[in-house]
Amino acid sequence: MQKIRKISQLFFLLLIVAIPILNLMEIYFINGSFISLTVGNLAISDPLAVFQAIFLSHKIVPLMLVSILAPIFIVILFGRVWCSYACPYFLMTEFIDKVKIKLKIKSVRNKNINTNKQNIIRYGLLLIGFIVISILGVPLLYLISPPSVISTQVIMIIKHFAITLEVLIILLILIIEIFFIYRFACRYLCPTGTLLSLFQFKNFGLKVEHIGNCSECKACIKVCPLMLDPKIDGDSKQCNNCGICVDSCKDNLKQKTLFFKMK
Amino acid sequence: MSLINKIKLFLNSFDDNEYYRINRMRPPGAVDEKLFMKLCVRCSKCIEICPYRVIKRSDLTKNLEAGTPYIYAEEKGCQLCMNCTSVCPTGALDNKLTYFRDTRIGVAIVDDTICLNHLLYNQEEAGIADGTVAVCNQCFNSCPLKFDAIYLEDMILPTITDKCTGCGICTESCPTSPQKAINILPNGMADINSAGYKQYLKRIEKGGR
Repeated sequence: MQKIRKISQLFFLLLIVAIPILNLMEIYFINGSFISLTVGNLAISDPLAVFQAIFLSHKIVPLMLVSILAPIFIVILFGRVWCSYACPYFLMTEFIDKVKIKLKIKSVRNKNINTNKQNIIRYGLLLIGFIVISILGVPLLYLISPPSVISTQVIMIIKHFAITLEVLIILLILIIEIFFIYRFACRYLCPTGTLLSLFQFKNFGLKVEHIGNCSECKACIKVCPLMLDPKIDGDSKQCNNCGICVDSCKDNLKQKTLFFKMK
Repeated sequence: MSLINKIKLFLNSFDDNEYYRINRMRPPGAVDEKLFMKLCVRCSKCIEICPYRVIKRSDLTKNLEAGTPYIYAEEKGCQLCMNCTSVCPTGALDNKLTYFRDTRIGVAIVDDTICLNHLLYNQEEAGIADGTVAVCNQCFNSCPLKFDAIYLEDMILPTITDKCTGCGICTESCPTSPQKAINILPNGMADINSAGYKQYLKRIEKGGR
């Protein structure tokens, strides 16, 4: 399970480097960044970007609505797999965690987790973001969405051998992440993930399920990257179905205790 | 509302790169600048697909314009391949625009106080041609719509018609420095100042034309 996820993450990482190179070689079959992607005739857009454009311009182009269908459909069915299986930033933070363990630096993990509080903070930040962009009149929320910035900057590096200052924002988020708040971007800041989780419904789609006979070893809680309790928060809007908890569960060896279920 | 406008003006007032303020245009098919700023989601698709590396990404130092695509005509003009219009996901670039002659990025304006051909013409009219200027014709020769968008009045004075697409190839090839004798006035800029034509218009007001 985790192997498939790692392969998928590395595939998407390869993709953001490969797309500009293919475009340089004048192969235009696949084009775009993680804000908006075109594969052949199929357009896929980040719902955040499209909602911002509609919200600000009060103008709807058919292509916009068509392009957000696929991501929303995937989120409704499989949860926020975009975050766990594709986002290059999630891969980066996991890598940082591994380095931290190698260097024996302890992660700052607050023990008293409250999913509702987390959700309130991230939705609050998204709301503030939308208020700010409605004042400015410019869709600028991409600035705090790490995957968007990373993929567009890779395009800039490959196409123009230059980076723009958006990289500083990523560095700032990384510093906060490493020294102050554990998984700050994924849990609170990232507007892409927050908006996608609006389409995660409580009783529909792929959820982490739990059935009795738990030995209370709490391995799943220790291991969850978003600091959830998988037994309670399996259907939470925070959960991005990464499946680390399912793989960590030792009770699963004897009997199905913690598992994915299509509701 | 006035406070919001003040904030907007304040955030837009940091534009320091004066060099780039002249002759910068949006990619072909761009809608009106105000609407463009609302629609452009900074996905970099047009930047990526541009085979001539003409479209560039505006830097964060340009504040609210951060990440939007620009063509800097003085570095390289748009080659009108029309790849970029079809990829825009939000319609900030008109997806239906495919024929390069329909493009209206802006319009070229000849500055006859600098243009070598104009200077030579004036000198010959006054009978004081001393060999300091020579016939140039670079803008005419490089124009992809020769005779349509630009023609030589009296066989020497470059004149722009309304068929000009504003691609900026003439600006790129214009040999005068530091200021180009032929400049692009971008279409649909929020105001004339943001198009970088402040100094240019001041000179016209003073009767320099």
